[in-house]
Amino acid sequence: MATAPVPSPRGRGDRGSSGPGGQQGGKKKFFYRRKRVCKFCVEKIEYIDFKDIKTLQQFIPERGKILPRRISGTCALHQRKLQAAIKRARIAALLPFTAD
Amino acid sequence: MRTYEVLFILSPQVTEEEATALIAEFKRIAESTGATLKSEDAWGRRRLAYPIQKFNEGIYHLFVFESGASLAELDRRMKNSDRVLRHMIVRTDLDLKRADKLAKRNPKKERVRPAAAPVATPAAEEAPQA
Repeated sequence: MATAPVPSPRGRGDRGSSGPGGQQGGKKKFFYRRKRVCKFCVEKIEYIDFKDIKTLQQFIPERGKILPRRISGTCALHQRKLQAAIKRARIAALLPFTAD
Repeated sequence: MRTYEVLFILSPQVTEEEATALIAEFKRIAESTGATLKSEDAWGRRRLAYPIQKFNEGIYHLFVFESGASLAELDRRMKNSDRVLRHMIVRTDLDLKRADKLAKRNPKKERVRPAAAPVATPAAEEAPQA
């Protein structure tokens, strides 16, 4: 998941179809990167509810921060919605602002 | 018509009768400004993710209203009430409408680019929680 900082152009991770599979047989062996897909696209969740803590918690690592989409693979649209939902949940004291 | 979700947290010191009275009061205020209650959900006592006013738990309650106007009066009353640790009014109808639209459009997209979705989960549709 959290691979070392591979010098990758930005758009690559989120463009589902042109993932690492597209550049097979590349020059040198880079880190193997698992193809990440947006959880919300796969499960067809279009409305991210701020009260649905179980879903949100999957994107909250230990420290309580919002998991960046370069790691989670969430698409831009859903990351935006997710971010809003997490922030709302924080205000409602459902999720921590910080945790240690 | 707009749909609003009203989530509020009552102080844990509030007794049960007082809580039901407060909840009824808020309902009355909203309905007097032209809102209709669509659903309500008493979450009850819940641990807070962080202390608010030095309390570690609170009584959660959720209203879903449909209203033609804003819930400004309810908002004001909740803000002034010292029994309410926190409240949040969120308008949801626009987002839900957009979500519906997206949900309808998605299957088409997959047909155009079948390679883009290797994970074939036909019945993995989860209804967004209301």
